[in-house]
Amino acid sequence: MAANEASVADVAVEVQTAPFSMAYGYESALRKRTDIGAIVTFTGLVRDFNETPDVTGLTLEHYPGMTERTLTDIAEQAWKRWSLQAVRIIHRVGDLSPGDPIVRVLVASAHRRDAFEACDFIMDYLKTQAPFWKKEHSKQGAYWVKERHTDQQDAARW
Amino acid sequence: MQLTHLNAHGEANMVDVGDKRETRREAVASGRIVMHPNTLQLLSDGALPKGDVLATARIAGIQAAKRTHELIPLCHSLALSKVSVEFAIDHDNGWVDVSAMCRLSGRTGVEMEALTAVSVACLTLYDMCKAVDKEMRIEAIQLDSKQGGQRGDYRRETTAPIVTGEGAAGEVSLGERCSSPCVRVKFLAELRERVGESDLAIGLDKLLSRDVAGLKAALSAQDPRFSVLSDQRTLCAINQVMANDSARLTDDDEVAFFPPVTGG
Repeated sequence: MAANEASVADVAVEVQTAPFSMAYGYESALRKRTDIGAIVTFTGLVRDFNETPDVTGLTLEHYPGMTERTLTDIAEQAWKRWSLQAVRIIHRVGDLSPGDPIVRVLVASAHRRDAFEACDFIMDYLKTQAPFWKKEHSKQGAYWVKERHTDQQDAARW
Repeated sequence: MQLTHLNAHGEANMVDVGDKRETRREAVASGRIVMHPNTLQLLSDGALPKGDVLATARIAGIQAAKRTHELIPLCHSLALSKVSVEFAIDHDNGWVDVSAMCRLSGRTGVEMEALTAVSVACLTLYDMCKAVDKEMRIEAIQLDSKQGGQRGDYRRETTAPIVTGEGAAGEVSLGERCSSPCVRVKFLAELRERVGESDLAIGLDKLLSRDVAGLKAALSAQDPRFSVLSDQRTLCAINQVMANDSARLTDDDEVAFFPPVTGG
């Protein structure tokens, strides 16, 4: 894990209601670079079961301004801890249906270990720090999703 | 689901609640009365012939909640520990929102009491205003939430806003500026639903100490529903940066309270 403090972080974050494509992030991270050796992406999707067995959809609320700031801060922390070449984060808000992608984290680096670890780190911090809240809709009614203790434990690993 | 007010023969009967456990129960109901803008103006000016309309309707709603068992045949008589009836005059839509909360520790739910309180408060508003407006309409009387009891909690689905307040992506929202030194407070997600408010401003002079703890104390003193802010799980950010109870507040700060985050 080489520190990366000198270089300017190639970091971009987006929060939007519109869906994003499965190819999201690749092109803007790669451009015409040939020094990237690894790209790791994580994509989170809406499951049709969570706190209740039949989730029909969910509404994601966020805190505009603080959300973008927090995501950028998390990406920059990763930039400092690992040797990275690009970080892209996109997170959707609004009404989503089962199967819809919610979040994409893409990390590019020269070697795979940095990209794997940084991607894992970003997701752990995103889940415990970024101001998003999920309200699940199910056949039994709607309810706010509760935080998970395991997410806190995961974030504490770093 | 079975209707417990029907016996094996399908006849109406009163449910025996003697074996049910006593739990803390609470129900919130709401409704509204639509009226002519001029009537609404007279009402908010206190210029209607029958006098203070809202105060009278509030008492009527509270009395009605206590006497629900006399009106609804199979309802038990309950020793309510708390009844509140609130009004919000909505000039834009031309109506008065009425909401009632009933609470007790007991063996049976209090939703009928809350619904009765709203209904009678609306009827009293009608009675108080009918001299000047006969077109008024009572509508949307409904149960909003109930807590406690063996069937668990219920909360009516509402269309939750995607974002809170006036903020646009990527910028700190300023909201309305205050004329005297104040802080602007936001409640997000589940917390907004629990306190029933998304934005408010409070004067700095209302705070005993000019920090987050002082703000929580001032809000809780204003209304007990803000006591949820002292819950350990409630998080706080000042100007969109996480903060704790001892963080200092200055004029025009934006303070947001929210539950633990659940994105990703």
